[in-house]
Amino acid sequence: MQRLLLFVDEVSAYVGKAFAWLILALTFGITYEVMSRYLFNAPTSWAFDASYMMYGTLFMMAGAYTLSRNGHVRGDVLYGFFPPRLQAGLDLLLYLVFFIPGVVALIWAGTDFAEYSWGIREHSSVSADGPPLYPFKTIIPIAGALLLAQGLVEIVRCAVCLRRGEWPSRERDVEEVDVDELKKMVSFDDREIELAAQALREREQTK
Amino acid sequence: MKRGVWFGLAIMAVVVLLVAVLMPAPAEMTRGHLGLLMLALIVVAIMLGFPTAFTLMGMGMFFGWLAFDYDTQKVLDLMVQRTFLVMTNDVLISIPLFVFMGYVVERANIIDKLFRSLHLALSEVPGSLAVATLVTCAIFATATGIVGAVVTLMGLLAFPAMLRHGYSVRLSAGAITAGGCLGILIPPSIMLIVYGATAGVSVVKLYAGAFLPGLMLTALYIGYVIVLAKLRPDLAPPLSEAEKRVPAPAWAEALMRDGRSLPIGLAAAALSPRGHPGAPQGEVWKMLIVAVLPLATAVLVMGMSYWGFAERATQLDAEPDLPTAIQPLGEATSGTAEPAPRAPGGLQEPPAESGLEQEQAGEPQPLGGVQEPAAEDKPQELTGGGMALDPAEAGGAPQALGVQAPPAAAGQGQDAATEPHTGWQIPVAVIAVVLAAILVWFYWFLDWKHLEVGWMLLTSFFPLTVLILAVLGTIVFGLATPSEAAAIGSVGGILLALAYRQLTWGRMKESVFLTARTSAMVCWLFVGSSIFAAAFALLGGQALVEQWVLSLNLTPIQFMLLSQVIIFLLGWPLEWTEIIVIFMPIFIPLLAHFDIDPLFFGLLVALNLQTAFLSPPVAMAAFYLKGVAPPEVTLNQIFVGMLPFMGLQLVALALLYAFPEIGLWLPNYLYK
Repeated sequence: MQRLLLFVDEVSAYVGKAFAWLILALTFGITYEVMSRYLFNAPTSWAFDASYMMYGTLFMMAGAYTLSRNGHVRGDVLYGFFPPRLQAGLDLLLYLVFFIPGVVALIWAGTDFAEYSWGIREHSSVSADGPPLYPFKTIIPIAGALLLAQGLVEIVRCAVCLRRGEWPSRERDVEEVDVDELKKMVSFDDREIELAAQALREREQTK
Repeated sequence: MKRGVWFGLAIMAVVVLLVAVLMPAPAEMTRGHLGLLMLALIVVAIMLGFPTAFTLMGMGMFFGWLAFDYDTQKVLDLMVQRTFLVMTNDVLISIPLFVFMGYVVERANIIDKLFRSLHLALSEVPGSLAVATLVTCAIFATATGIVGAVVTLMGLLAFPAMLRHGYSVRLSAGAITAGGCLGILIPPSIMLIVYGATAGVSVVKLYAGAFLPGLMLTALYIGYVIVLAKLRPDLAPPLSEAEKRVPAPAWAEALMRDGRSLPIGLAAAALSPRGHPGAPQGEVWKMLIVAVLPLATAVLVMGMSYWGFAERATQLDAEPDLPTAIQPLGEATSGTAEPAPRAPGGLQEPPAESGLEQEQAGEPQPLGGVQEPAAEDKPQELTGGGMALDPAEAGGAPQALGVQAPPAAAGQGQDAATEPHTGWQIPVAVIAVVLAAILVWFYWFLDWKHLEVGWMLLTSFFPLTVLILAVLGTIVFGLATPSEAAAIGSVGGILLALAYRQLTWGRMKESVFLTARTSAMVCWLFVGSSIFAAAFALLGGQALVEQWVLSLNLTPIQFMLLSQVIIFLLGWPLEWTEIIVIFMPIFIPLLAHFDIDPLFFGLLVALNLQTAFLSPPVAMAAFYLKGVAPPEVTLNQIFVGMLPFMGLQLVALALLYAFPEIGLWLPNYLYK
């Protein structure tokens, strides 16, 4: 079971990470566009289309990856204090009530949306010779499907947690605030903390 | 389970009960009431801790379906349209770019050097370590915008240092947590982009507007620390002499022992072919660059001010020409066919050249003033023109006089004709004298420490500041859109990391992956909230809220206070992203009724949500600091330490409210 969960996690993460590299293309693409506008006085007509397409694809495809790392913002004022079983129970309920219907609807609607766009071979109307829009619109059902798969895995996780009373493990990934990594970066010496603690204790005594 | 949890659950139950009681019976329920029900439910649902983006999406879909009278196809269309709008939003596109820039800069390991150099540079200031912490935070947090990382890093670097120097735990903790949150307000901040995208306010204007309030808040923090350290040295003892000193290497001592001043010694050592015995040539050049920099800056400032004043003077001189040029044209019945009325002055040169001539006569500024339309905007300058007309019977005479005379005489001639405009030499001279005095004073006291610290600042403080100011400057002055500036800033961050030799493949990967996750988090929230907001509007909840607020007959000030208090209270249970994307769409349409500028409102909201990061017991900053603090430091001490800084935030909020010019002056000056 755990292996299946981790496999889906891995697929989500693989896709998300693959599309994450779009940020580099976006960064350098826009920089190039600005330079060509100012230095060579030659703005590119499709630069605008290309940039929002990269941005849209990037965040849509990273949705499942973010979910697999529990990275979507949640109101955790109370949640953080709940015991794991209650957390899992609430999550399970809300996955069934909000998540599944919402994402299924998104996939459904997105399929129609993309199908229509393919049917008329829709092109962007930002510039006269705009790039095709249909591949970009197809992103919606694809991202939705990935999200749905990841959501189902999360539901299984909730069920496992309900039974066992503790959350099954997730794959380790880079964290925004990873204290150990940050310590390594600034080559921090743990004796510093000890010295500070010592200073504090001495101060207490002199008082 | 803890008692707090039961308390929270009880509050939620009360909310649900209240809603149930207050709602009219299902039979009389209008759609507007459904909208309000939806709003109450979403607050409860968010508190349950489910990922907010999907709560919003699911609930928005369900209520949208009700609003469309159970027409499934319409809801599906609405959802996908809304999603697509977020995917093509040209404001939100800057979010991944700024986030990426933040992660790259964060991983360039600049903060260590930044803090150490600022700590040495500010060693004479009371409370120097805390002040250095605040300045480091302000710069680093602005460049990265990641509260958790900044607070953790400063908790590692500055916190132990401050405690060992006898700083009080509260002051140290307060400075770090408050400083770490500054990046949320000071542009380029993600919060302002999110607000701009939600409220339909130009991000450019928001950035221009938030800049001064951000600086003001930083200044308040620093001022507070300095005053406190002056009044209560036991809370922040000054550094000892030994800690302030930076020992000079032996070769530098030797340079100075020859009786020469340090810069001259450095120059001699750098230029002598064999170098100075024992002095590494690279070091010598490094220090020489630092030593020469103030001189170069002074020369640059001098040149700029000379240029600026001279330009102003030539403009003033030139302005009378336009009226005089028109005058003869008015009399032009005299029959001169020439369009240039300067001919009566008996001049051979065409007017364009007269400009050039005058430039040689002592003003290093291409004289475009004659043709400048700006002159038309200033009719009051006509008095000068009138004076000029008197001595010479034809228009261009004073000009001509100036052109033909040699430089010295030109001055005289202008003195006679346009006296007020020659005064510009005096301020220039004053600036020159002041600059020279500063330079003499500076080089007199220049010692090794200044050079060393100067070099450290040059390699840590300046690159980061230049990066921030370049990004902001290009946005605010309209050279690039926010997304373009963010892309260039990211490239700048990558170059910075390269320059610090910190750009490894692993770090790059981490930055890229984290960027994807953070962007997905924010943008999926937008997908959810835009579906939710559409359903809310469809149900007419917005209209009901508007009716209700208007029926309260609030004055604009009361409304403003009420809304800020509500936002402040929401800041406790909710994250700022949720507050902005869910509640701003409700507040923004109300602003028009009270004649409040959404830009100004946005600045207040940004400042207000800052306080949420420092308000116990949910303040994230405190937990990050606790994570790396010595075990003797309690969470309570950190919370208490944050309180004075939270008070300062409220002071800043009041100041901004009382003097809106603090925020609105810059955008108005630039864009109106």
